[in-house]
Amino acid sequence: MRSGALRLALPALALVLIVSMAARAQTPNKQSFEVIEHGRYMATAADCTACHTVKGGQPFAGGGALETPFGVLLAPNITPDLQTGIGGWTDDAFVNAVQNGIGHGGIYLYPAMPYTYYSKMTRADVIAIRAYLDTVQPVHNRVVANQLPFPFNQRETMVGWNALYFRPGDFKPDPSQSEEWNRGAYLVEGAEHCGLCHTPKNAMGGDEGGRAMQGSALQNWYAPDLTGNRHAGLGDWTVDDIVLYLKTGRNRYDIASGPMAEAVTNSTSHLTDADLRAMAVYLKSLPPGGRAAPQPISDQDPAMQHGRAIYDNQCAACHGGGGQGIVGLFPRLSAAPLVQQEQAASLIRVVLEGSRAVATAGAPTGPAMPSFAWQLPDADIADVITYIRNAWGNAAPAVSANDVGKMRQALHREAQQAP
Amino acid sequence: MSSHPRVPGHADPGRSTMVTRRHALLPSTALLLVAPETRAEILPGGTGMPWRPFAGHPPEVVKPGPWVFFTPEEGAAVEALVDRLIPPDPETPGGKDCGCAVFIDRELAGGYGTASGIYMSPPFLPATPEQGLQAPLAPAQFYRSMLAALDQFCRAAYAGKTFAQLPDGEKDQIITRMEDGSLQLQGTVAKPFFEILLRDTRQGFFADPVYGGNRDMAAWKMIGFPGARYDYRDWVERHNERYPHPPISIAGG
Ligand code: HEC
Ligand code: HEC
Ligand code: HEC
Repeated sequence: MRSGALRLALPALALVLIVSMAARAQTPNKQSFEVIEHGRYMATAADCTACHTVKGGQPFAGGGALETPFGVLLAPNITPDLQTGIGGWTDDAFVNAVQNGIGHGGIYLYPAMPYTYYSKMTRADVIAIRAYLDTVQPVHNRVVANQLPFPFNQRETMVGWNALYFRPGDFKPDPSQSEEWNRGAYLVEGAEHCGLCHTPKNAMGGDEGGRAMQGSALQNWYAPDLTGNRHAGLGDWTVDDIVLYLKTGRNRYDIASGPMAEAVTNSTSHLTDADLRAMAVYLKSLPPGGRAAPQPISDQDPAMQHGRAIYDNQCAACHGGGGQGIVGLFPRLSAAPLVQQEQAASLIRVVLEGSRAVATAGAPTGPAMPSFAWQLPDADIADVITYIRNAWGNAAPAVSANDVGKMRQALHREAQQAP
Repeated sequence: MSSHPRVPGHADPGRSTMVTRRHALLPSTALLLVAPETRAEILPGGTGMPWRPFAGHPPEVVKPGPWVFFTPEEGAAVEALVDRLIPPDPETPGGKDCGCAVFIDRELAGGYGTASGIYMSPPFLPATPEQGLQAPLAPAQFYRSMLAALDQFCRAAYAGKTFAQLPDGEKDQIITRMEDGSLQLQGTVAKPFFEILLRDTRQGFFADPVYGGNRDMAAWKMIGFPGARYDYRDWVERHNERYPHPPISIAGG
């Protein structure tokens, strides 16, 4: 009896296999483990969770607020829930949202959802992400994304914005470059959306033409220059330095903090070594951009002398008398591009409120920088940062007490808003 | 939600004003200014210790000012005593100007004064030093009673003058007799009081300035102690060189 049933079942199975193999030729088989696993990997590379998961909440259930100076935008629920998630969406609708910024019912999404970058991904990769999202726990959680006040809530204005700043289309490989380089470019410019933070933005929030990856202010942070600039960029970093940073969050120059710590934790530390190396190879090929090294401020300058005294008293114990740091524990400040960016926001911020460096599987200890807000007044913090930016061969514009005062207020507001 | 791209191009409020004038494209800017609200949290996935912005337990710094425990008369007597135990010289201020009396006043007003950490019940027996204080009086009461006894002794022996009003030579004579055990104050041998006073004065002189003594780190400068620094790796290999950095307090600076 049993064998009879089996015999009947076999041809049916064969038929299913044939059908599914035929389907795969056009679109990936969304049920296959490989596709789902690949989708999980690409969703990690694209860091969808950064915005669509509330800290401590259900994965991808949305609801987290992205605060903007004009109001709040909530990241929607992208679990497969039929009513409140994307369970009922067709693949085309999903691709249209992720790659073209056109949401359900044809609405225009705001580019806080980085479709301008995801547009460079292949359709197959995006469908794989969908296949993966179909496997996560559906969560019933209705999110009304657009909380912006009038007139910012008028989505139609995005038509004009898209026309100006959005270049839709898949990534075009450069045949003159190696396969590795092309893989790196594909990831950096697409899924990983590194430029969202590292490319300077114009007043409209569009990428500034010709200044890709030259460093950009984020609110109360500064994402540094990643071009081949030897002064403020990655000109002196080796491919291995970059790989180590993206994998473990630290290298002989720096330890990631703030938004970069999250990008490392959620995304880059989970990529394969081959992909990290490809990204590093691509980054190392970026021609030096940005500004040339300025003249360092003289060590006879009163701010430098005062800053030096504070440095010797308060900072040298960890960062070393010569700013040399200790690899993996205390970032170096001398010859460190991060310290010599045009804007000192990240430095002021870290000295004021302290910072917990990233902890990754590869480097599980996240050392902390103590907060100095309670003991150093604005003028002292300004001078010590001016000093580290111009000592030991470093060179960067001075920091004023006013800059520090503004940051102090902004950070206190942020700390109050945090739950 | 974990934080993500915060606001390309938005650090500068001047810019947003500029933006508001260009109505057609307004929202886009808003959008790129993404500033998720919960940013500085424990990093997920990491095994790092918990961390909060502006974390820290700043030390409470004693401010000079009115006496907290002493009466004005007691304060004057203690200032006079500490200034003879550590007299000023041309290079270093004395115990009084270094704040030793302030240090003692503040510690007597706190847990030390009430012996809050010490077993203070009888029996009180002759004992070895290891067996600790063998007296019914906590330091605050002890100081108060001995200062009152010293005051009575001085007024009787020196024509109504208080200890603080005596010339230095006579102060030193009294202190010398307290130390060698030959002086009784109201029937109590003064030597134990001398010993406690000397110890507390030294502590006030050399303790971190946050406790009220060692003003301007004068004592540390005198002996070349660099204070609350905690890393000398840069100096381990440098011999026969003077360490150039001034002392610092645990309050910084
Ligand atoms: C930088 C933050 C951010 C990242 C990273 C991000 N999103 Fe979004 N996403 C948003 C925001 C904000 C919206 C809402 C935009 C709007 O309503 O205009 C959104 C909207 C969407 C929508 C439309 C949902 C709906 O109900 O309209 C989909 C689908 C989506 N995101 C999928 C993804 C996927 C997949 C990824 C990873 C590949 C991703 N997002 C990464 C912020 C982000
Ligand atoms: C969410 C915004 C954000 C994203 C996305 C992001 N970064 Fe960063 N990145 C930053 C910030 C902010 C810093 C400065 C961190 C600090 O102060 O420690 C930084 C620092 C860095 C540094 C250290 C540079 C130095 O001079 O020390 C490197 C390298 C880097 N990022 C590479 C990347 C790459 C590659 C990507 C894409 C995979 C990326 N970042 C994506 C915000 C971001
Ligand atoms: C107790 C040790 C300690 C002391 C003291 C200390 N730092 Fe740090 N500092 C750190 C650690 C650890 C980090 C890494 C934190 C991170 O990356 O989030 C850091 C990071 C920094 C950074 C960011 C560099 C980077 O690559 O991310 C700057 C700038 C900095 N410190 C400046 C200072 C200054 C200025 C002082 C004195 C006012 C000081 N530090 C005192 C431990 C210390």
